[in-house]
Amino acid sequence: MIDVLFFGPVVERTGTRGLKVEHRQGMTLKHLRDELAAKYPGAFEIVCLAAVDGQHARDLTMPLADRSEVTFMARFSGG
Amino acid sequence: MKDQVRIQEEDFSQDEEIAALKASCLRMGGIATFLGCARDFSEGREVSRISFEAYGSMALSEMKKLRLDAIEKFGLIDARIVHRIATVSAGDNIVFIAAGAEHRAAAFDACRYMIDELKMRVPIWKKEITPEGDAWVSPHP
Repeated sequence: MIDVLFFGPVVERTGTRGLKVEHRQGMTLKHLRDELAAKYPGAFEIVCLAAVDGQHARDLTMPLADRSEVTFMARFSGG
Repeated sequence: MKDQVRIQEEDFSQDEEIAALKASCLRMGGIATFLGCARDFSEGREVSRISFEAYGSMALSEMKKLRLDAIEKFGLIDARIVHRIATVSAGDNIVFIAAGAEHRAAAFDACRYMIDELKMRVPIWKKEITPEGDAWVSPHP
């Protein structure tokens, strides 16, 4: 399973702080993103950043390991 | 001694952070600081409070990397970054950054670099609470 987390403005649009997605052989960050974007189109209008296991992930072709923690995020506004 | 990089709910003391920075080395000739604080007005409307949310583990990890990047890039002697994750009112402290170097130029440049990079790299979001309702903030340049 893959743990998906959402924060801040994305939560407001998904209505949930996270969910689990079944891991599939050969699954990439793009596969997961597309699957979730179809489920939460409003949230993914503002998603522009992703992280895998707490590290920025800019390459959508990145393969995902089982038990990864993946976060799809809106632009940051700290500081 | 408090950690050089922290995320915390409670307020911080600029004096304590600067004292800790100075205590790390007597070769420090210049310290530049940035204090981010809450405003009561934004985008043409009153703001009552600001609420912060973070992807905590990643935010702390990115802030630690950012400190090390700044030390290496500008040849700093030491640096500190503290960010509050809380609901704050106008005038309250939000973030404190201090850069200590042998000379002022590196300290100024590194301080600017750290706050600019923090805004781009660290997963923290702010929500403005206004009399008209709440709204997540779109980043400012």
